[in-house]
Amino acid sequence: MKRLVHAELFKLRTTNAWWLFALAILASTVTMLVVNGINAYSLLQPFNSFVNLHSHGHAGSIPADFLAHLRQEWTAGHDGIGQAAMLYTSGQLIGVLLVCLLGIVMVTSEFYQQTATFTFLQTPRRSAVIRGKLVAALLVAGLAWLVSTVISVAAGAAFLHSQGYSTGLGHWAVDRAILLNLAAYLLWTLFGIGFGCLVRHQLAATVSATVLYLIGATAAATVFELLNTYVLNQNWVLAAQVVVPPVASTVMVSATQAFEQSPPAWVGAVVLLVWSLVAIRLGDRRLQRHDIT
Amino acid sequence: MTIHAQASERRHTAPGGPDGQSPIVVRGLTKQYGELTAVDDLTFTVTPGRVTGFLGPNGAGKTTTLRMLLGLVAPTSGTATIGDRLYADLPEPTRVVGAVLEASSAHRGRTGRNHLRAACIATGLEISRADATLEMVGLMAAADRPFKGYSLGMRQRLGIASAMLGDPDVLILDEPANGLDPEGIRWMRTLLQGLASEGRTVLVSSHLLSEMQALADEVVIVAAGRLARQGSIDDIIAPLSIGAPVQVSTPQPERLAAALRSAGATVTIPNGTALRVLGIEESLIGDLAFSVGVPVHRLYTETPDLEDAFLTLTHAEAAIR
Repeated sequence: MKRLVHAELFKLRTTNAWWLFALAILASTVTMLVVNGINAYSLLQPFNSFVNLHSHGHAGSIPADFLAHLRQEWTAGHDGIGQAAMLYTSGQLIGVLLVCLLGIVMVTSEFYQQTATFTFLQTPRRSAVIRGKLVAALLVAGLAWLVSTVISVAAGAAFLHSQGYSTGLGHWAVDRAILLNLAAYLLWTLFGIGFGCLVRHQLAATVSATVLYLIGATAAATVFELLNTYVLNQNWVLAAQVVVPPVASTVMVSATQAFEQSPPAWVGAVVLLVWSLVAIRLGDRRLQRHDIT
Repeated sequence: MTIHAQASERRHTAPGGPDGQSPIVVRGLTKQYGELTAVDDLTFTVTPGRVTGFLGPNGAGKTTTLRMLLGLVAPTSGTATIGDRLYADLPEPTRVVGAVLEASSAHRGRTGRNHLRAACIATGLEISRADATLEMVGLMAAADRPFKGYSLGMRQRLGIASAMLGDPDVLILDEPANGLDPEGIRWMRTLLQGLASEGRTVLVSSHLLSEMQALADEVVIVAAGRLARQGSIDDIIAPLSIGAPVQVSTPQPERLAAALRSAGATVTIPNGTALRVLGIEESLIGDLAFSVGVPVHRLYTETPDLEDAFLTLTHAEAAIR
C-alpha cells in the first residue's frame, strides 16, 4: 500500500500536473485573499467610513432604504473574528474545486493517457490502485490546504493587526473555520476520486464536476424553492437541498447559517462524506468489472 | 553484472514454478461480447525455454486472449494460468510475468526513465532497474525525453524495458515488431531467443508471418477466435509438403518429361529448361533421370512456408467479424 501511494505521488511529481496544480492553488489563494482583504477592509471601518467607501464620498445623497441595507451588511460583517475566519480560509472557494479535479484527473488520466493497462498489470488488484490514489490525493490535498492556510493566515493576520484588530487565532470560531476548511479539502478530494471512477472520460468528468460545483448550489436553491412553492410547502423541503454536494459543503463550512432553513454544519459534513463514499464504492465496483482494453 | 547473468543467478530463487519454470496453460477460454464470440473455447499450452508465436489474422482474438491471460479482461468461461496460477493471484506479478500489450501506454508528458521508475516504486523493485532495462533495450540516450517525443520503435523498446523490470520468467508481447525497423526487429529476435534459451517462457503475438518463421520455435495459430493449429513450424509445414510439386532443371526437358510421364507423374514445362513435376517424389525423379541418362542441374521440392500454412489453415475464416 505504502509503495502504491509513493508511486502515485511520484507519478504526480513527474508530469506538469504538479506545477499546474501548485500554481492554481497559489493563484486562487492570493486572488481570493485580495478580494476578501478588500471586503474586510471596508467592513471593519466605522459605519460612516464604510458608507463613504460604498457611495464614493456621496454619503449624504444615498436613499434611506439603501442606507438601511448597508447598515445591515455592515452589522453582519463588522466583526474581527468573522473576518479573520473568512480571510484565513480564502483558498477554499477555488481550492476545493481544484482538489476535486485533481482526484478526478488522477483516476481518469489512466484511461485518457492509456496507462490503465500498464498500471493494472503491475497491480492487478484494482481496488488497491484506487486506495493508493486516494491516499496520495488526500496527502496532496492536505498539503494544498496547508500552503493555502499558511499564506492566508500570515497575510490575513498581518492585515488585521494593521487595522488594529486581534488576529483571532486561538479563538474557537476561527480555528473551527480553518479545520472545517481542511475537512472540505479532504472530502472534495474523496468525492473527486469517486467521481473519476464513475465517469472515466476525463473531459466529461472534469466539466460535469466543475459545473456541479459552480452552479449546483444555485440550481439546487431554485429547484427546491419551486418544489416548496408548488409541490410541498414544508420547511424541510428547503432544508433538504443540503443533499446537493456543493450545498452540503457550504452548510459545513459556514460560520453562520448558510441559508434560512439550513441544517447544522455536521449534516453538511455527513452528506458530503456519504456522497464521497457512495461514489468511491460504486466507482470501484464498476472498475472491478470493467474490461481494460 | 549483465542482465543475463542476473537472470541466471535469479533462476535459483525464481517465484514462478517449482524450478522457476512457468508454463502458460489456456483451457477452454471463451470471451463473448454480446453476439460476437471473440475467443471461442481456446486451448493451448506454451512451454518454457522456447519462443512461441501466437499467430492469427487481425481480429482473430489474439489480443483479447492475452488480456484475459493477464487479468485485464474477464473471460466468459475457461481459464488461463501462468505457472498454475491466475495472473491476478500472483503475489508479485511483475517478477513472474513481463508483458507488453500496447506501445502507447505511458503518460505523454513523463520521461521514459520516470515511467519505469514509477513502475519500480509501485512494485517494490530497486529503482536502479529502470536504468538497467533502459540500457538493455538501448534507450539510454532518450531516457530523459518525454514519451510524446518517442518514435513507435522507441515506444516498443520502452515497452520491452518495462516488461523486463522484474526480470520475469514469462514474457508476453503483443505485436512487438510493429514500428521496429529491420535492425530493431533483428535486435528483438536476438533478445527474445536469448531469453527463451535461459529457460523463460516467451509468447509473442504477431500477424507478421515471415517474422514469426525467423523467431518462433513453435506457433499457436488462431482464426476467428478458435485454435487452428499448434505445433513446431516444421510440424505444421510438413503435412503440406506431402505431394508438393518438385522443380527440375535439365538441358533435356522433353526427354525427362516423357520418362516421368510414363512413370505416372504430371509434368508441366513452365520454361525452356525447367520442369514442374507432381505425383512423384524428389528422390525418384533423380533415380529416373539417372536411369534414362538425362543430366539434372537442379532438383528441389517446393516447400510451403509458414505463410502458405497459415493461409491454408485460416482459409475459411474471415479476418474481420
